[in-house]
Amino acid sequence: MTTKTLYKSYIIEEYQLDEEPYYVPVGDEIELFEAAYRERLPLIFKGPTGCGKTRFVEYMSYKLGVELRKNSKRTDDSDSVNLPLVTIACHEDLTSSDLVGRYLLEGDQTVWIDGPLTRAVKAGGICYLDEVVEARKDTTVLIHPLTDHRRMLPVEKRGELLEAADGFLLVLSYNPGYQSALKDLKHSTRQRFVSIEFDYPPLEIEAQIVQHEAGVDEKTASQLAKLGEKIRNLKEHGLGEGASTRLLIYAGKLIASGIPPRRACQVSVNWAVTDDHSVQQSITEIIASIFE
Amino acid sequence: MSEDSINDKWPELKKFPESVEKNFISSLSEMPDALSESQIRDWYQQGISLASQTVRSWESAAHFFAVSPSVLKSMPYSYFEKWMECGEKLCNESPTLASAYFESSPGTMSQLRSRHIEEWASLGDQLYKGTWKSSTLACRFFVLSPILLSQLSFNQLQTFSQFLDKLAHRSYDLALECLNLGEQIFPLVGEDKDAFLSLATALVETGWREVKSFFDSGAKALPRIDPDERIRFLQLAENLVKNGGTNIPGTMLEISQSLAELDQEKHSVVLALSESLLEFEPLAMPDFINSSPMIFEKLTTSQFGKWYEEGVNVIQNNPDAGIAYFKVESAHSENTIEMLSSGIEFDRIKTVMEMYCRGLAGAEIKLSSTEALVEKNIGWVSKNSPTTEGSTVFVPTIVDRYPTKEENFAWFKVVSTHQVAHLEFGSFIFDFNKKSALFDDLRAILEKKQLDAIENSKKSNEILDDSSSTTEFSETSQNLEKAWISDMQRFFNLFEDRQLSLDIFTVVESARLDAKVLVEYPGIKTFYLQVQNDSLDDRPDIKELPAREAIVEFMLRVSLQQYEGVSIPLKYKSEIQQIIQIMKRVTLHESLVEDSAEASIRIYAIIASIPNEDIPEEDWEDPSFDDEEDYEDPDEMEQMLMDMGMGMEMELRPEGEEDYETMQEVEYRGDFKPELSQLMNEMRMQQQDQSGGAQGDPLTQDQLKELLENSAELDMQTVQGEIQESSGVFADNLIKEAGTNLPQSPDDNQGKYVHVDEDGGELQPGEPETFVYDEWDFRAEDYKPRWCIVKQKLMQEGDPAYFSSTLNEYSTLVTRIRRQFEMMVPEMLRKERKLSDGEDIDIDDVIENMVDIKAGSSPDEKFYWRRNKVQRDVAVAFLLDTSASTAEAIDEGKGRQDEWDAPDDPVEYMVWLRTRRGQQMRRSYKRIIDVEKESMVLLINALEAIGDVYGIYGFSGYGRENVEYYTVKDLQENFSDKVKRRIDRIAPLHATRMGPAIRHTAHKLNQIDARTKILFLISDGRPQDRGYSREGVEKEYAVHDTKMALDEAKKIGINSFCLTVDKSGHDYLKTMTSDMGYEILDDINDLPERLLVLYRRLTM
Repeated sequence: MTTKTLYKSYIIEEYQLDEEPYYVPVGDEIELFEAAYRERLPLIFKGPTGCGKTRFVEYMSYKLGVELRKNSKRTDDSDSVNLPLVTIACHEDLTSSDLVGRYLLEGDQTVWIDGPLTRAVKAGGICYLDEVVEARKDTTVLIHPLTDHRRMLPVEKRGELLEAADGFLLVLSYNPGYQSALKDLKHSTRQRFVSIEFDYPPLEIEAQIVQHEAGVDEKTASQLAKLGEKIRNLKEHGLGEGASTRLLIYAGKLIASGIPPRRACQVSVNWAVTDDHSVQQSITEIIASIFE
Repeated sequence: MSEDSINDKWPELKKFPESVEKNFISSLSEMPDALSESQIRDWYQQGISLASQTVRSWESAAHFFAVSPSVLKSMPYSYFEKWMECGEKLCNESPTLASAYFESSPGTMSQLRSRHIEEWASLGDQLYKGTWKSSTLACRFFVLSPILLSQLSFNQLQTFSQFLDKLAHRSYDLALECLNLGEQIFPLVGEDKDAFLSLATALVETGWREVKSFFDSGAKALPRIDPDERIRFLQLAENLVKNGGTNIPGTMLEISQSLAELDQEKHSVVLALSESLLEFEPLAMPDFINSSPMIFEKLTTSQFGKWYEEGVNVIQNNPDAGIAYFKVESAHSENTIEMLSSGIEFDRIKTVMEMYCRGLAGAEIKLSSTEALVEKNIGWVSKNSPTTEGSTVFVPTIVDRYPTKEENFAWFKVVSTHQVAHLEFGSFIFDFNKKSALFDDLRAILEKKQLDAIENSKKSNEILDDSSSTTEFSETSQNLEKAWISDMQRFFNLFEDRQLSLDIFTVVESARLDAKVLVEYPGIKTFYLQVQNDSLDDRPDIKELPAREAIVEFMLRVSLQQYEGVSIPLKYKSEIQQIIQIMKRVTLHESLVEDSAEASIRIYAIIASIPNEDIPEEDWEDPSFDDEEDYEDPDEMEQMLMDMGMGMEMELRPEGEEDYETMQEVEYRGDFKPELSQLMNEMRMQQQDQSGGAQGDPLTQDQLKELLENSAELDMQTVQGEIQESSGVFADNLIKEAGTNLPQSPDDNQGKYVHVDEDGGELQPGEPETFVYDEWDFRAEDYKPRWCIVKQKLMQEGDPAYFSSTLNEYSTLVTRIRRQFEMMVPEMLRKERKLSDGEDIDIDDVIENMVDIKAGSSPDEKFYWRRNKVQRDVAVAFLLDTSASTAEAIDEGKGRQDEWDAPDDPVEYMVWLRTRRGQQMRRSYKRIIDVEKESMVLLINALEAIGDVYGIYGFSGYGRENVEYYTVKDLQENFSDKVKRRIDRIAPLHATRMGPAIRHTAHKLNQIDARTKILFLISDGRPQDRGYSREGVEKEYAVHDTKMALDEAKKIGINSFCLTVDKSGHDYLKTMTSDMGYEILDDINDLPERLLVLYRRLTM
């Protein structure tokens, strides 16, 4: 009897995208990323939630990976050449051990297990620390040696100093939207990065993205994009954060699978962005104006 | 008859004064011939016997003789005898009375059935009680009888006289006055004198003093009421009297006033319901009627009935609640109205719609009612027309056009959307020099031609010396050269008939916006079209209009999507065809406001060439147009422009042509004033530039005035004759208005807010350690900028022994608290061990684990450790109320705080304060402040054990320029003897202006880096200060400001907690702290312990 694997599993440092992710550039971010990567300058992506930061990293890692393979074709070694993408979602309790690694007991001996950051450093991939402000402050200091000319990761517990493999690049993302005095990056951290600002794409591009991602017709897509734009106008007037492109795509997907547009926007956009009743009502009216 | 013969025949006459004889003789000749000699003799004898009764009775006799002939005319002789008898009886009582009786007899008899003579006489007789006052009353009764009888039946007259009699028991004067008033009032009462009389009689029983005012108010009240309903009105009033109502006349006046505000056909409804209300609670009836006009504004008659029924339900359960309900002073009542009403009230939807507008426009749009705009008096005059001036959308206060709420709301939405469209699609960002998207640009060419024409005329002017028209031109040119001219104005300056051009532009621009809205917002398309269609119902008959106006009207119909069924003048068909094509182009998707302008130039050129004359009925036809053709500028465009440039376009007017009159606006589109709006926007920008220190000549008031006079947008009909003056007023107001939206402009806040009891404006911090804060004015819904000065001082130092003695006093509590607090520490600092996952492995646990394995028992696999999850990182600021009221002795103090009211005048205030504090000097009891101090001691002791960052501050002050803020221990300061000494000196000072103190504390906390920040407010009552909290609504002001200060703190991540000892604190603390939490201590002595418990709970 054979066991059928019901899931796909990847080794962290070997994960890379097989297909080109869909990404529409809004500005010069692709050129910036490529240039930064050439110089191995770490990057920070700033931008509101759901505006495409993660998608952009995926896209770039794929794109750069393909180029890398193309360039190394001559050595006939293409299998081993890749640019893995290691994504780490940061949270409040993320400790340095979680990033670097720890000893585990196995049988009657301790075994060292590399953390994802160490793995990325060794494999020479792009390490993407998502929502980095969420991590504890001591954790963020850990990455400092990796971000300057040293490109080193000290692994204290083993008494090691790891030099990052050639392809390694650190990318951070954070959302200045709910930035508070407490949840801010230290200047010593911030100033080690090239910052690329992200915002929601302009109306036409967003419509194009929604159309592609959600599989709705052009008209619906542009209506959704318009809705996004109108809701974002309400930011600072009771809305903490505008409707993200991601939400618009969700709405589009619901519409594509037969939910009436008004209802789809209600559940996927309106109720997602706010709990405030009067703001909800206002958005309901906006939805009712845009969609039949 | 000779004198002698008279003397012979009627010898007795001589005994009496001459008038008796004279009257007798003149009447004798008039007596009917049918009378027999003996009857005449009887008559004569009767007179003589009257005359000889008393000394003065000859007067009665004289009257008797004088009226006899006319009396005799209205009755047979038999009754005449009776009449005479009655007269004699009365004369027995009082000759004066008899005189009055005789005198009024002719008038009375003509209306009185003869058989009532006796009764009538006896009515007067009854009123006469032998006194002088009663005789006056009785006489007056006789005198007025003819008039009264013309209104009353005899039975009613009887009732009336009984009423008078009763009233006379109380006061003759009153009775007399009522009698006099009766003359006026009975005609008003109509058919229901019985009701009125019985009400009056009832009133005598219950409150005779009110009777006169009842008559007075009756005279005023009754005319206001539908004549058919007056009887019910009176019955209601009577019922009220019977049910113990007071001040009936006042009530009658009031309710009649309310009824007068209603249409007469509604009176019967209201009165019928009032009648049935009497069964439940008569006293609620007046309130019910008084509320009805207001309710009818919102409800239809049947809805009104439902509202009433609900009220009856309420009143059956709780009469007080019912009365409040009918006064519309209860939420339930308002909600019921709201539920029943199909109308949409602006206030209820303001928040939602404002947000909606902001969403659509993507700008800081405010939503306001049109009433507010009209009040500003800046050129907008219509209360019903929605409009916008570039930053605010104004909509009517209430919409009740359609039968259902949904439709009314939809109308509201259509209106708002259209107004916002002006902003969203850029009506006001018109740029004279910007290229249009769809037309060849003619604006600049036209302007140039105009300037050339002026230039030419100037030249010719030099030759011809002067002519009036050229002066006009040069003025225009000066206007054009002025730096201060909005693009919109520059555009309208191109046209000679500004009104016409404005109307054309308005229609074209509205059409453009409507087209855009319909494309961009398909969701409201259905109702939008319906509103457009409904607007057509209000349009004037196009055939009544002269040609130009008709064509503008036609354009407007087209813009409302009415393509069929509108007649047009046959002879201008091709022109109209052209206009339609132009308009069609403007509605294309790419169009800009500049396209509307270009289109307007072309349409203007066409319409201007048409004389504004009446078109005969037969020259109209329903057009059918070829839709296919696209518009192209005709060849003669050049010539048209030339004409316009020369100001010649109006030269074609035939003699006697009518002036162009502006079109009637479309309601949902409202009042469109592009020139004024752009002007205001620019003024605002200018203001901003100025405050930013930029250059540029500011617009002067005179310039502005001139601009306004030139504008066609001011409705000169409303300000006719005083244009000069009102444009000055407008200009003033406009300048103010442009300033208002700039909080930083310097002369902003003077005399503007409702809360003006404190004069003066902003304050500047002069000395070091002073800070300025805004204050929230909840009625203006805005901050008063830089309103309060907080003076930060170090608390003076006293005796450090106070600290230790307090600790000794509370030694048991101290030990317990200290232990509790110390227990918090290990929880916080300990590593978390024995975890199945963690930062690292714990070597002790691993060894144990190994031992277990070697020993063959199952190992405990939890050998990881982790640093504690929540690191204690707390900063807390204690804010102590050290106002004068904390000097209250604890036992008396309870419940008295609210009576504490500071005098407003500073001098009085200080005197008042001194006496208060003087009283407190000789104390031997504990004050609130003492407990506060003790709590602080215990708290410090506990906090030092756990090492939190904390600060202690006291606040007080008088007036907004003197908020005193005492530091006992600063947040960053270490605990020391100094702190101990300062605690000793905490003492009650002045008033409680909480807002600025909270703001200052929040400001301090904000500078501290801590994960948890807490502001702990300890107070003994509501916030109050001179000009901050006094009676009535003022109290609310202070509470709202405090709430706002707490909200601000919340926004920067500071949690607040209020602890008070004021038992009446629930009412305002709930408002003040909203969800932030507060606690009211039942016993002030619990404060120290409770404070620490709360502290632990809050910071864990």
